[in-house]
Amino acid sequence: MNNALYVAKTGLEAQQFRLAAISNNLANANTYGYKTGRAEFNDLIYQNVRQPGAQATQDEANTLPSGLQLGTGVKAIGVQKIHTQGNLMVTDNQLDMAVEGKGFFQALDQDGNLMYTRDGSFEVNQNGDIVTSSGYLLEPNINIPQDATDISITSDGAVYVSQPGNTQQVQVGQIELATFINPAGLESLGKNFYGETTASGAPNINNPGTAEAGSVLQGALEASNVNTVEELIGMIEAQRTYEMNSKAISAANGMMQYLNNNT
Amino acid sequence: MDRMLYVAMSGAKEVMLAQANNSNNLANASTDGFKKDFNIFRAQHMEGPGQHTRTYALDERPATDYSAGAIKVTGRDLDVVTKSDGFMAIQTPKGDEAFVRTASMQVKENGDLVDVQGNPILNEAGVPINVPPYKSIAVGDDGTISFVPADGQGNQLIVLDRLRLVAPDEKQLYKGLDGFSRLREDAGELDQANISVVSGALETSNVNTAEALVEMISLSRKYELQVKMMATSKTHSQKSDSLLSVR
Repeated sequence: MNNALYVAKTGLEAQQFRLAAISNNLANANTYGYKTGRAEFNDLIYQNVRQPGAQATQDEANTLPSGLQLGTGVKAIGVQKIHTQGNLMVTDNQLDMAVEGKGFFQALDQDGNLMYTRDGSFEVNQNGDIVTSSGYLLEPNINIPQDATDISITSDGAVYVSQPGNTQQVQVGQIELATFINPAGLESLGKNFYGETTASGAPNINNPGTAEAGSVLQGALEASNVNTVEELIGMIEAQRTYEMNSKAISAANGMMQYLNNNT
Repeated sequence: MDRMLYVAMSGAKEVMLAQANNSNNLANASTDGFKKDFNIFRAQHMEGPGQHTRTYALDERPATDYSAGAIKVTGRDLDVVTKSDGFMAIQTPKGDEAFVRTASMQVKENGDLVDVQGNPILNEAGVPINVPPYKSIAVGDDGTISFVPADGQGNQLIVLDRLRLVAPDEKQLYKGLDGFSRLREDAGELDQANISVVSGALETSNVNTAEALVEMISLSRKYELQVKMMATSKTHSQKSDSLLSVR
Protein backbone atom coordinates (compact mmCIF):
# COMPACT_ATOMS: atom_id res chain seq x y z
CA MET A 1 0.00 0.00 0.00
CA ASN A 2 0.96 3.59 0.27
CA ASN A 3 4.18 4.13 2.23
CA ALA A 4 3.71 7.86 2.63
CA LEU A 5 0.51 7.29 4.55
CA TYR A 6 2.17 5.15 7.21
CA VAL A 7 5.27 7.31 7.46
CA ALA A 8 3.14 10.41 8.03
CA LYS A 9 1.17 8.49 10.65
CA THR A 10 4.34 8.00 12.71
CA GLY A 11 4.92 11.74 12.42
CA LEU A 12 1.48 12.48 13.85
CA GLU A 13 2.02 10.06 16.72
CA ALA A 14 5.38 11.60 17.55
CA GLN A 15 3.97 15.11 17.73
CA GLN A 16 1.06 13.94 19.83
CA PHE A 17 3.53 12.34 22.22
CA ARG A 18 5.59 15.51 22.31
CA LEU A 19 2.52 17.60 23.10
CA ALA A 20 1.63 15.25 25.95
CA ALA A 21 5.13 15.65 27.40
CA ILE A 22 4.93 19.44 27.03
CA SER A 23 1.48 19.55 28.63
CA ASN A 24 2.78 17.56 31.58
CA ASN A 25 5.66 20.02 32.01
CA LEU A 26 3.34 23.02 31.82
CA ALA A 27 0.91 21.41 34.23
CA ASN A 28 3.79 20.97 36.68
CA ALA A 29 5.29 24.42 36.19
CA ASN A 30 4.37 25.24 39.80
CA THR A 31 5.25 21.84 41.32
CA TYR A 32 8.13 22.11 43.81
CA GLY A 33 11.13 20.08 42.81
CA TYR A 34 9.62 19.01 39.46
CA LYS A 35 12.14 18.35 36.71
CA THR A 36 11.20 19.10 33.15
CA GLY A 37 10.87 16.23 30.71
CA ARG A 38 12.03 16.43 27.12
CA ALA A 39 10.49 14.21 24.43
CA GLU A 40 13.20 12.47 22.41
CA PHE A 41 12.78 11.09 18.91
CA ASN A 42 14.59 8.74 16.62
CA ASP A 43 14.29 8.06 12.94
CA LEU A 44 13.08 4.53 12.24
CA ILE A 45 14.96 2.02 10.12
CA TYR A 46 15.29 2.55 6.40
CA GLN A 47 13.82 0.21 3.86
CA ASN A 48 15.92 -0.84 0.93
CA VAL A 49 13.63 -0.42 -2.07
CA ARG A 50 16.44 -0.51 -4.61
CA GLN A 51 19.97 -1.53 -3.80
CA PRO A 52 22.60 0.99 -4.88
CA GLY A 53 24.97 -0.60 -7.36
CA ALA A 54 22.33 -3.02 -8.61
CA GLN A 55 22.26 -3.90 -12.27
CA ALA A 56 19.99 -1.54 -14.18
CA THR A 57 20.36 -3.40 -17.49
CA GLN A 58 22.30 -6.42 -18.64
CA ASP A 59 25.07 -4.11 -19.73
CA GLU A 60 27.53 -4.37 -16.86
CA ALA A 61 28.44 -0.69 -17.02
CA ASN A 62 24.89 0.31 -16.33
CA THR A 63 24.43 0.06 -12.59
CA LEU A 64 22.21 2.16 -10.36
CA PRO A 65 24.40 4.88 -8.88
CA SER A 66 22.46 5.53 -5.72
CA GLY A 67 19.51 3.21 -5.20
CA LEU A 68 16.53 4.00 -3.07
CA GLN A 69 16.37 3.67 0.68
CA LEU A 70 13.08 4.82 2.11
CA GLY A 71 12.82 5.95 5.69
CA THR A 72 9.89 4.51 7.57
CA GLY A 73 9.21 7.41 9.88
CA VAL A 74 9.87 8.50 13.42
CA LYS A 75 9.55 6.97 16.86
CA ALA A 76 9.27 8.61 20.26
CA ILE A 77 11.96 6.94 22.35
CA GLY A 78 11.07 8.50 25.65
CA VAL A 79 10.90 11.51 27.86
CA GLN A 80 14.27 12.49 29.22
CA LYS A 81 14.24 14.19 32.61
CA ILE A 82 16.45 17.25 32.69
CA HIS A 83 17.92 17.48 36.17
CA THR A 84 19.10 21.07 36.17
CA GLN A 85 18.71 23.18 39.28
CA GLY A 86 15.35 24.88 39.67
CA ASN A 87 15.01 28.42 41.02
CA LEU A 88 15.19 28.76 44.77
CA MET A 89 12.23 30.45 46.39
CA VAL A 90 12.63 31.79 49.89
CA THR A 91 9.59 30.92 51.99
CA ASP A 92 10.94 31.50 55.52
CA ASN A 93 9.08 28.38 56.61
CA GLN A 94 11.37 26.58 59.07
CA LEU A 95 10.80 23.13 57.62
CA ASP A 96 11.12 24.09 53.97
CA MET A 97 14.41 22.91 52.54
CA ALA A 98 15.97 23.20 49.14
CA VAL A 99 18.96 21.28 47.82
CA GLU A 100 21.61 23.25 46.01
CA GLY A 101 23.41 20.52 44.13
CA LYS A 102 22.65 17.04 42.90
CA GLY A 103 21.24 15.38 46.03
CA PHE A 104 17.76 14.01 46.66
CA PHE A 105 15.92 13.82 49.98
CA GLN A 106 14.90 10.30 50.92
CA ALA A 107 11.49 9.24 52.17
CA LEU A 108 9.92 5.90 53.05
CA ASP A 109 6.72 4.79 51.34
CA GLN A 110 3.97 2.80 53.07
CA ASP A 111 5.82 -0.46 52.37
CA GLY A 112 9.11 0.80 53.72
CA ASN A 113 10.76 1.33 50.33
CA LEU A 114 13.01 4.31 49.79
CA MET A 115 11.84 7.06 47.46
CA TYR A 116 13.75 10.12 46.39
CA THR A 117 12.54 13.67 45.98
CA ARG A 118 13.73 17.22 45.39
CA ASP A 119 10.58 18.64 46.93
CA GLY A 120 11.67 19.93 50.33
CA SER A 121 8.35 21.15 51.70
CA PHE A 122 8.44 19.12 54.89
CA GLU A 123 6.04 19.13 57.78
CA VAL A 124 5.75 17.52 61.18
CA ASN A 125 3.18 14.77 61.78
CA GLN A 126 1.23 14.05 64.96
CA ASN A 127 4.19 12.15 66.48
CA GLY A 128 6.62 14.96 65.81
CA ASP A 129 8.33 13.13 62.94
CA ILE A 130 9.40 15.12 59.89
CA VAL A 131 7.29 13.99 56.90
CA THR A 132 6.96 15.07 53.28
CA SER A 133 3.92 17.11 52.30
CA SER A 134 2.25 13.84 51.27
CA GLY A 135 2.86 12.34 54.72
CA TYR A 136 5.81 9.99 54.06
CA LEU A 137 8.52 9.76 56.70
CA LEU A 138 11.82 11.45 55.98
CA GLU A 139 14.72 8.98 56.03
CA PRO A 140 16.67 8.95 58.33
CA ASN A 141 13.81 9.72 60.67
CA ILE A 142 14.05 12.99 62.59
CA ASN A 143 11.80 13.67 65.54
CA ILE A 144 11.10 17.22 66.62
CA PRO A 145 10.34 17.41 70.37
CA GLN A 146 6.89 18.70 71.32
CA ASP A 147 8.29 21.68 73.19
CA ALA A 148 10.65 22.85 70.45
CA THR A 149 10.31 26.57 69.90
CA ASP A 150 12.62 26.94 66.97
CA ILE A 151 14.17 24.63 64.38
CA SER A 152 17.36 25.44 62.57
CA ILE A 153 18.95 23.39 59.83
CA THR A 154 22.55 23.97 58.84
CA SER A 155 23.75 23.85 55.26
CA ASP A 156 25.35 20.47 56.00
CA GLY A 157 22.05 19.04 57.16
CA ALA A 158 22.27 19.03 60.95
CA VAL A 159 18.87 19.73 62.52
CA TYR A 160 18.91 21.69 65.81
CA VAL A 161 16.00 22.71 68.02
CA SER A 162 15.67 25.33 70.74
CA GLN A 163 13.80 24.30 73.85
CA PRO A 164 12.50 26.43 76.71
CA GLY A 165 14.89 26.51 79.65
CA ASN A 166 17.86 25.49 77.57
CA THR A 167 20.14 28.17 76.19
CA GLN A 168 22.01 25.66 74.03
CA GLN A 169 20.43 24.34 70.84
CA VAL A 170 20.13 20.55 70.77
CA GLN A 171 20.85 18.48 67.66
CA VAL A 172 17.92 16.14 66.98
CA GLY A 173 18.97 14.66 63.67
CA GLN A 174 21.02 14.72 60.51
CA ILE A 175 19.60 14.97 57.00
CA GLU A 176 21.18 12.72 54.40
CA LEU A 177 21.04 13.20 50.67
CA ALA A 178 21.19 10.54 47.97
CA THR A 179 22.89 11.11 44.65
CA PHE A 180 22.78 9.00 41.52
CA ILE A 181 25.33 8.69 38.79
CA ASN A 182 22.55 8.87 36.20
CA PRO A 183 19.59 10.80 37.65
CA ALA A 184 17.95 10.78 34.22
CA GLY A 185 17.52 7.03 34.70
CA LEU A 186 15.33 7.42 37.81
CA GLU A 187 11.76 6.25 37.55
CA SER A 188 9.12 8.92 38.14
CA LEU A 189 6.73 7.59 40.76
CA GLY A 190 4.41 10.60 40.85
CA LYS A 191 3.74 12.72 43.96
CA ASN A 192 7.16 14.33 43.32
CA PHE A 193 8.99 11.06 44.01
CA TYR A 194 11.53 9.11 42.05
CA GLY A 195 12.47 5.48 42.44
CA GLU A 196 15.84 3.80 41.93
CA THR A 197 16.28 1.72 38.75
CA THR A 198 19.13 -0.23 37.19
CA ALA A 199 19.65 2.70 34.82
CA SER A 200 20.00 5.25 37.61
CA GLY A 201 22.49 3.13 39.55
CA ALA A 202 22.50 2.64 43.31
CA PRO A 203 22.17 5.73 45.52
CA ASN A 204 25.26 7.24 47.11
CA ILE A 205 24.23 8.49 50.51
CA ASN A 206 26.15 11.37 51.99
CA ASN A 207 25.67 14.18 54.41
CA PRO A 208 24.89 17.48 52.69
CA GLY A 209 27.96 19.55 51.96
CA THR A 210 30.12 16.48 51.36
CA ALA A 211 30.92 14.69 48.09
CA GLU A 212 28.59 15.68 45.26
CA ALA A 213 25.43 15.84 47.41
CA GLY A 214 25.08 19.61 47.52
CA SER A 215 24.03 21.72 50.45
CA VAL A 216 20.71 22.22 52.18
CA LEU A 217 19.09 25.63 52.36
CA GLN A 218 16.58 26.09 55.14
CA GLY A 219 13.54 28.29 54.57
CA ALA A 220 13.58 27.90 50.81
CA LEU A 221 12.02 25.62 48.22
CA GLU A 222 13.22 24.58 44.81
CA ALA A 223 10.74 25.60 42.14
CA SER A 224 10.25 23.41 39.09
CA ASN A 225 12.86 23.91 36.38
CA VAL A 226 10.18 24.15 33.68
CA ASN A 227 10.90 27.03 31.36
CA THR A 228 7.40 28.04 30.34
CA VAL A 229 8.57 30.12 27.36
CA GLU A 230 10.51 27.17 26.00
CA GLU A 231 7.52 24.87 26.54
CA LEU A 232 5.19 27.26 24.73
CA ILE A 233 7.56 27.46 21.79
CA GLY A 234 7.74 23.66 21.80
CA MET A 235 3.95 23.54 21.83
CA ILE A 236 3.65 25.78 18.80
CA GLU A 237 6.32 23.76 17.01
CA ALA A 238 4.61 20.47 17.85
CA GLN A 239 1.26 21.77 16.66
CA ARG A 240 2.62 23.06 13.35
CA THR A 241 4.59 19.90 12.68
CA TYR A 242 1.47 17.90 13.47
CA GLU A 243 -0.47 19.95 10.94
CA MET A 244 2.17 19.40 8.28
CA ASN A 245 2.19 15.67 8.89
CA SER A 246 -1.57 15.58 8.65
CA LYS A 247 -1.21 17.46 5.35
CA ALA A 248 1.11 14.67 4.21
CA ILE A 249 -1.62 12.15 5.03
CA SER A 250 -4.21 14.08 3.06
CA ALA A 251 -1.77 14.44 0.15
CA ALA A 252 -1.17 10.68 0.09
CA ASN A 253 -4.88 10.12 0.43
CA GLY A 254 -5.56 12.59 -2.38
CA MET A 255 -3.18 10.73 -4.66
CA MET A 256 -4.94 7.44 -4.07
CA GLN A 257 -8.33 9.05 -4.44
CA TYR A 258 -7.33 10.57 -7.74
CA LEU A 259 -6.10 7.21 -8.96
CA ASN A 260 -9.36 5.53 -7.98
CA ASN A 261 -11.51 8.16 -9.61
CA ASN A 262 -9.62 8.46 -12.87
CA THR A 263 -8.70 5.01 -14.09
CA MET B 1 -1.28 -2.85 -26.34
CA ASP B 2 0.84 0.25 -26.28
CA ARG B 3 3.38 0.53 -23.49
CA MET B 4 2.38 4.11 -22.79
CA LEU B 5 0.29 2.79 -19.91
CA TYR B 6 3.35 1.16 -18.36
CA VAL B 7 5.52 4.22 -18.77
CA ALA B 8 2.89 6.36 -17.06
CA MET B 9 2.48 3.75 -14.36
CA SER B 10 6.19 3.79 -13.62
CA GLY B 11 5.96 7.56 -13.22
CA ALA B 12 3.05 7.32 -10.80
CA LYS B 13 4.63 4.53 -8.78
CA GLU B 14 7.96 6.30 -8.39
CA VAL B 15 6.27 9.57 -7.44
CA MET B 16 4.48 7.66 -4.70
CA LEU B 17 7.86 6.43 -3.40
CA ALA B 18 9.22 9.97 -3.50
CA GLN B 19 6.21 11.11 -1.51
CA ALA B 20 7.07 8.50 1.15
CA ASN B 21 10.62 9.86 1.33
CA ASN B 22 9.29 13.39 1.69
CA SER B 23 6.89 12.23 4.39
CA ASN B 24 9.81 10.66 6.24
CA ASN B 25 11.65 13.97 6.22
CA LEU B 26 8.54 15.69 7.50
CA ALA B 27 7.88 13.04 10.16
CA ASN B 28 11.39 13.64 11.49
CA ALA B 29 11.03 17.42 11.56
CA SER B 30 11.48 17.38 15.32
CA THR B 31 14.04 14.59 15.64
CA ASP B 32 17.16 16.29 17.01
CA GLY B 33 20.15 15.81 14.73
CA PHE B 34 18.10 14.30 11.88
CA LYS B 35 19.51 14.99 8.41
CA LYS B 36 17.07 15.08 5.56
CA ASP B 37 17.38 12.77 2.57
CA PHE B 38 17.46 14.07 -0.95
CA ASN B 39 15.26 12.57 -3.56
CA ILE B 40 15.75 12.60 -7.32
CA PHE B 41 14.20 11.02 -10.35
CA ARG B 42 16.27 9.52 -13.08
CA ALA B 43 15.31 8.56 -16.61
CA GLN B 44 15.95 4.86 -17.04
CA HIS B 45 16.16 4.18 -20.73
CA MET B 46 15.09 0.75 -21.97
CA GLU B 47 16.95 -0.81 -24.86
CA GLY B 48 14.86 -2.76 -27.31
CA PRO B 49 13.74 -3.13 -30.90
CA GLY B 50 12.26 -0.14 -32.68
CA GLN B 51 12.20 3.45 -31.56
CA HIS B 52 13.69 4.48 -28.24
CA THR B 53 10.39 5.51 -26.75
CA ARG B 54 10.50 3.57 -23.55
CA THR B 55 12.11 5.62 -20.82
CA TYR B 56 10.92 4.74 -17.38
CA ALA B 57 11.24 6.92 -14.30
CA LEU B 58 13.37 5.78 -11.40
CA ASP B 59 13.24 7.38 -7.96
CA GLU B 60 16.51 7.47 -6.05
CA ARG B 61 17.91 8.67 -2.77
CA PRO B 62 21.26 9.90 -3.97
CA ALA B 63 22.47 11.46 -0.73
CA THR B 64 21.69 12.99 2.58
CA ASP B 65 21.69 16.71 3.19
CA TYR B 66 24.27 17.26 5.95
CA SER B 67 23.71 20.98 6.23
CA ALA B 68 23.31 22.26 9.79
CA GLY B 69 19.96 22.50 11.50
CA ALA B 70 19.00 25.28 13.88
CA ILE B 71 20.78 25.36 17.23
CA LYS B 72 18.48 25.29 20.21
CA VAL B 73 19.83 26.20 23.59
CA THR B 74 18.90 23.72 26.32
CA GLY B 75 21.26 24.75 29.12
CA ARG B 76 22.02 21.10 29.89
CA ASP B 77 25.78 20.54 30.34
CA LEU B 78 25.88 17.31 28.37
CA ASP B 79 23.94 18.49 25.31
CA VAL B 80 26.55 19.20 22.65
CA VAL B 81 26.64 20.39 19.04
CA THR B 82 29.65 20.47 16.74
CA LYS B 83 30.22 23.71 14.89
CA SER B 84 30.55 24.23 11.14
CA ASP B 85 31.50 21.07 9.25
CA GLY B 86 32.50 18.92 12.20
CA PHE B 87 31.13 15.64 13.43
CA MET B 88 31.59 13.66 16.61
CA ALA B 89 31.88 9.91 16.72
CA ILE B 90 29.63 7.40 18.41
CA GLN B 91 29.65 3.62 18.42
CA THR B 92 26.64 1.95 16.81
CA PRO B 93 25.05 -1.23 18.19
CA LYS B 94 26.94 -3.06 15.41
CA GLY B 95 30.19 -1.92 17.03
CA ASP B 96 31.40 0.37 14.27
CA GLU B 97 31.81 4.09 14.21
CA ALA B 98 29.09 6.53 13.13
CA PHE B 99 29.12 10.30 12.96
CA VAL B 100 26.68 12.77 14.43
CA ARG B 101 26.51 16.54 14.72
CA THR B 102 24.68 16.65 18.02
CA ALA B 103 24.21 14.41 21.03
CA SER B 104 22.26 14.60 24.21
CA MET B 105 24.82 12.72 26.26
CA GLN B 106 24.02 10.73 29.38
CA VAL B 107 26.17 9.07 32.00
CA LYS B 108 25.01 5.51 32.51
CA GLU B 109 24.93 3.75 35.88
CA ASN B 110 28.37 2.29 35.20
CA GLY B 111 29.77 5.67 34.17
CA ASP B 112 29.66 5.07 30.40
CA LEU B 113 29.03 8.23 28.43
CA VAL B 114 26.30 7.44 25.90
CA ASP B 115 23.90 9.26 23.60
CA VAL B 116 20.18 9.29 24.19
CA GLN B 117 19.76 5.92 22.44
CA GLY B 118 22.50 4.38 24.58
CA ASN B 119 25.25 4.39 21.95
CA PRO B 120 28.70 5.00 23.49
CA ILE B 121 30.40 8.33 22.74
CA LEU B 122 33.94 7.81 21.46
CA ASN B 123 37.12 9.61 22.51
CA GLU B 124 40.12 10.67 20.41
CA ALA B 125 41.41 7.12 20.33
CA GLY B 126 38.02 5.76 19.23
CA VAL B 127 37.35 4.18 22.62
CA PRO B 128 34.09 4.67 24.57
CA ILE B 129 34.37 7.29 27.31
CA ASN B 130 33.81 6.39 30.96
CA VAL B 131 33.11 9.03 33.57
CA PRO B 132 33.93 8.49 37.27
CA PRO B 133 31.46 9.81 39.90
CA TYR B 134 31.40 13.58 39.59
CA LYS B 135 30.03 16.72 41.16
CA SER B 136 29.83 18.55 37.88
CA ILE B 137 30.90 17.92 34.32
CA ALA B 138 31.61 20.23 31.41
CA VAL B 139 32.45 19.95 27.73
CA GLY B 140 34.91 22.56 26.50
CA ASP B 141 35.02 24.33 23.14
CA ASP B 142 37.54 21.85 21.75
CA GLY B 143 35.59 18.81 22.96
CA THR B 144 37.58 18.34 26.14
CA ILE B 145 35.49 16.77 28.85
CA SER B 146 36.43 17.88 32.35
CA PHE B 147 34.81 17.13 35.67
CA VAL B 148 34.93 17.85 39.39
CA PRO B 149 35.25 14.46 41.11
CA ALA B 150 32.65 13.53 43.72
CA ASP B 151 35.27 13.64 46.46
CA GLY B 152 37.14 16.60 44.98
CA GLN B 153 37.74 19.91 46.68
CA GLY B 154 35.85 23.00 45.56
CA ASN B 155 35.50 23.46 41.86
CA GLN B 156 38.83 22.14 40.68
CA LEU B 157 38.22 20.69 37.23
CA ILE B 158 40.13 17.63 36.09
CA VAL B 159 40.50 16.86 32.41
CA LEU B 160 38.98 13.46 31.69
CA ASP B 161 39.00 12.86 27.98
CA ARG B 162 38.33 14.48 24.65
CA LEU B 163 35.57 13.79 22.13
CA ARG B 164 36.56 12.35 18.79
CA LEU B 165 35.92 15.26 16.45
CA VAL B 166 36.39 14.79 12.73
CA ALA B 167 35.70 16.77 9.61
CA PRO B 168 34.91 14.26 6.86
CA ASP B 169 33.95 15.49 3.45
CA GLU B 170 30.17 15.11 3.42
CA LYS B 171 30.48 13.15 0.18
CA GLN B 172 32.35 10.50 2.15
CA LEU B 173 29.37 9.92 4.41
CA TYR B 174 26.33 7.82 3.76
CA LYS B 175 23.27 7.07 5.84
CA GLY B 176 22.79 3.37 6.45
CA LEU B 177 19.54 1.47 6.71
CA ASP B 178 19.68 1.87 10.50
CA GLY B 179 19.74 5.66 10.14
CA PHE B 180 23.39 6.07 11.25
CA SER B 181 25.78 8.10 9.13
CA ARG B 182 29.00 6.28 8.45
CA LEU B 183 32.14 6.82 6.44
CA ARG B 184 32.19 5.17 3.01
CA GLU B 185 34.48 2.16 2.85
CA ASP B 186 36.85 3.77 0.36
CA ALA B 187 37.19 7.00 2.36
CA GLY B 188 40.23 6.02 4.42
CA GLU B 189 41.16 7.04 7.94
CA LEU B 190 40.06 10.32 9.46
CA ASP B 191 42.20 12.42 11.76
CA GLN B 192 40.99 14.23 14.79
CA ALA B 193 40.17 17.69 13.49
CA ASN B 194 40.20 21.17 14.90
CA ILE B 195 36.46 21.42 15.37
CA SER B 196 34.81 23.37 18.10
CA VAL B 197 31.78 22.23 19.99
CA VAL B 198 29.08 24.11 21.85
CA SER B 199 27.71 22.63 25.01
CA GLY B 200 24.29 23.36 26.46
CA ALA B 201 22.66 23.21 23.05
CA LEU B 202 21.25 20.71 20.59
CA GLU B 203 20.90 20.85 16.84
CA THR B 204 17.38 20.47 15.56
CA SER B 205 16.52 18.48 12.47
CA ASN B 206 17.54 20.25 9.25
CA VAL B 207 14.20 19.58 7.58
CA ASN B 208 12.74 22.75 6.16
CA THR B 209 9.06 22.12 6.65
CA ALA B 210 7.93 24.79 4.20
CA GLU B 211 10.14 23.27 1.52
CA ALA B 212 8.86 19.78 2.35
CA LEU B 213 5.29 21.03 2.12
CA VAL B 214 5.83 22.55 -1.31
CA GLU B 215 7.59 19.37 -2.42
CA MET B 216 4.57 17.42 -1.20
CA ILE B 217 2.16 19.48 -3.26
CA SER B 218 4.43 19.32 -6.27
CA LEU B 219 4.67 15.52 -6.03
CA SER B 220 0.89 15.22 -5.65
CA ARG B 221 0.35 17.20 -8.84
CA LYS B 222 2.95 15.20 -10.74
CA TYR B 223 1.18 12.07 -9.63
CA GLU B 224 -2.11 13.37 -10.97
CA LEU B 225 -0.42 14.05 -14.30
CA GLN B 226 0.76 10.46 -14.51
CA VAL B 227 -2.70 9.16 -13.64
CA LYS B 228 -4.13 11.44 -16.33
CA MET B 229 -1.71 9.85 -18.82
CA MET B 230 -2.95 6.43 -17.71
CA ALA B 231 -6.55 7.55 -18.23
CA THR B 232 -5.65 8.95 -21.65
CA SER B 233 -4.04 5.70 -22.62
CA LYS B 234 -7.24 3.94 -21.61
CA THR B 235 -9.31 6.25 -23.84
CA HIS B 236 -6.92 5.60 -26.72
CA SER B 237 -7.28 1.86 -26.51
CA GLN B 238 -11.04 2.14 -26.16
CA LYS B 239 -11.10 4.27 -29.29
CA SER B 240 -9.00 1.84 -31.29
CA ASP B 241 -11.11 -1.06 -30.04
CA SER B 242 -14.27 0.63 -31.27
CA LEU B 243 -12.67 1.50 -34.61
CA LEU B 244 -11.73 -2.09 -35.17
CA SER B 245 -14.93 -3.62 -33.87
CA VAL B 246 -16.87 -5.64 -36.38
CA ARG B 247 -20.55 -5.01 -36.52
